[in-house]
Amino acid sequence: MLAASLANNSSLKWASAIGIFVLLCLCALLFMLHLSVGSKSLGFDTVFNALFNFDPLQFDHVIISQLRVPRAIIAVMVGSSLAVAGAIMQGVTRNPLASPSILGMLSGASFAIVISLSLFGISSPIYTPWIAAIGALFAVVIVFLICLSTSKGINSLNLTLSGAMVSAFLAAITSLFSLLDEENYDQVRVWLTGSLAGNNMEDITLILPWMCGALFISILYCQKITVLAMGDQVAHGLGIKTTRLKFELLAVVVTLTACSVAIAGPMGFVGLVVPHIVRLIVGSDYRWIIPSSALIGAIFLLAVDIAARTIIRPEEIATGVITAMIGAPLFVYLIKMKSAQ
Amino acid sequence: MHTSLLTVLHKEYIFRTSNQGIALRLSTPAFVISFLLALLLVVIIFFSITTGSYDLSPNQAWQALIGNAENQTHQDLIWLFRLPRVCAAMLVGCMMALSGAALQNITRNHLADPSLLGISQGAALAVVASIIIFPLMTASWRAVLALLGAISVTVIIQLLTKNSATNKSIRFILFGIGISAFLSSLTTALLTYGDIYRVSEALAWLAGSLDSSNWPDVMILLITCIVLFPSLLLVSRYMSVLRFGDEVAISLGSPIATARLSLICISVALAAIATAIVGPVGFIGLIAPHAARRLASSGVVMHLIISALFGALLLAGADLIGRTSFAPLQIPAGLLTQIIGVPFFIFLLLKRKSKQS
Repeated sequence: MLAASLANNSSLKWASAIGIFVLLCLCALLFMLHLSVGSKSLGFDTVFNALFNFDPLQFDHVIISQLRVPRAIIAVMVGSSLAVAGAIMQGVTRNPLASPSILGMLSGASFAIVISLSLFGISSPIYTPWIAAIGALFAVVIVFLICLSTSKGINSLNLTLSGAMVSAFLAAITSLFSLLDEENYDQVRVWLTGSLAGNNMEDITLILPWMCGALFISILYCQKITVLAMGDQVAHGLGIKTTRLKFELLAVVVTLTACSVAIAGPMGFVGLVVPHIVRLIVGSDYRWIIPSSALIGAIFLLAVDIAARTIIRPEEIATGVITAMIGAPLFVYLIKMKSAQ
Repeated sequence: MHTSLLTVLHKEYIFRTSNQGIALRLSTPAFVISFLLALLLVVIIFFSITTGSYDLSPNQAWQALIGNAENQTHQDLIWLFRLPRVCAAMLVGCMMALSGAALQNITRNHLADPSLLGISQGAALAVVASIIIFPLMTASWRAVLALLGAISVTVIIQLLTKNSATNKSIRFILFGIGISAFLSSLTTALLTYGDIYRVSEALAWLAGSLDSSNWPDVMILLITCIVLFPSLLLVSRYMSVLRFGDEVAISLGSPIATARLSLICISVALAAIATAIVGPVGFIGLIAPHAARRLASSGVVMHLIISALFGALLLAGADLIGRTSFAPLQIPAGLLTQIIGVPFFIFLLLKRKSKQS
């Protein structure tokens, strides 16, 4: 019996390990594809040469190393950060609709960045993650406070409604400021729709370490999140300090979200869509959900960005627009499922 | 003495048409309130036509209004810019308020508003598509397209909520939020795709701004109001029964399916045409009916009238503030109504829950 369950367990582990390996391969493949398509299509051999055998005199190599590689790295990092942030939030709040965009964190972060730009003229990538973090934290705290002051407390309906309202309010104030200060607004207009374009490697290297750190920490925490997802009482009974854990996880989620917004602007619905796809595949064990969310998040955003750059080539659609087009129907479907129950 | 004052205050006059199709229960407070609102509206009109980047004295404004202006500038300022603008603001405010009042009655949901259910966004998408793809289209065709967009969104929401069991009303809004997000992303995609001149035209319209209002726009709005407001009054009789819920309405002999369908049609048409002319203006349909209920308890017809007056006051006021407070910059009225509307929505959300517990 024990042996059987052990064998079962190890075969499960093998299956999961193979799954992760397949995802990694897929991610690498999409990364290469992302580098090769664009307003000028380049062959895979050129991409390989540019990566491993770089020649600064060849124009195509410069395109890849200066423009496309940073963009692909951003797609990978932003995709995995938002997906992991969404997965953690859904586990902790035990709510399938929780995600950075639904709870107003994306609007909070972009609000803070726009305000600091137009009031104090801050646009340096050293400070923007911090400002974005303050904004995201501010928004999510207000959303939770509104939910707590209703008599039904934190449930999905209240969270979604107050999140949407806080987002709408912050978006209105953001556009008010942008009208009053058109010069600075021109810098952020494209960024505000959620775009992966227009970053250089120096800016990214300031922010990437934070994202990598937060992703690493969330993988360390994934065992505790599994327990927390079973409910506060179970977690308490198993010896976890739930309140403290929740605050630590909130810090992780805020870091992930704030860094993503600082680089790529509000990229809606990634944190909602990806964890749901992941849960369909791997079930409810957060030890697998968190790493697979990171990978599938990266794959998702790479794929979306490839679509965004090729559909109306040589122009491009903002990536955030396409994530919203995919995410919003899923959101409607989830509510429909919830109301059918 | 005191009691007689009270009886005067609470005296109700009831007017009915011969077949009792419309009954107007006119209590003194409701009458006083609507009179005061109308008075305030006149004050707002006065300020709207005198203030701006070029101030006019009351006398100059009056002379221009009655047709013997000092010079052509005054004449044009009043008749070409300020008067159509304030008229459009009042009519749109009034239409959005009526649409919201009807929606709140049909869904029995205090949080319903055309902009929250995605109806305005459906109209907006249709109009932006028409601006970008068919730039030569006239305003009245845009109104037709907006109507089509709004109707499709309503049909989708109706289909989605058709079979859900409980707590239907609040799901309505969640569906609306999802659908609005989807439609807005489509609108944004159109904006990135389109020609830059058309896009800037579409952007100005999308902000919910009244600054390009002209007399043809006002005529479209006015005709819509003249047709739809009386038809709303005709079905208002069923509205008051629908407030008690479907079972009660059926047992009182109301044709609720017909009543609901016609109410939805009227409310969607009001919101869509208002949106087609000035762009999405949010939250007036939410605020005005609540304020009207708070200001004076009254029958359905009087409530509709007070809501309409309050909506007109709200949008005309928001537009006046928006174009004077940061002059020469103009803040679109839609932005201001959103900034007022969201805290109000949250207040209602909190209140609604505490009432249920």
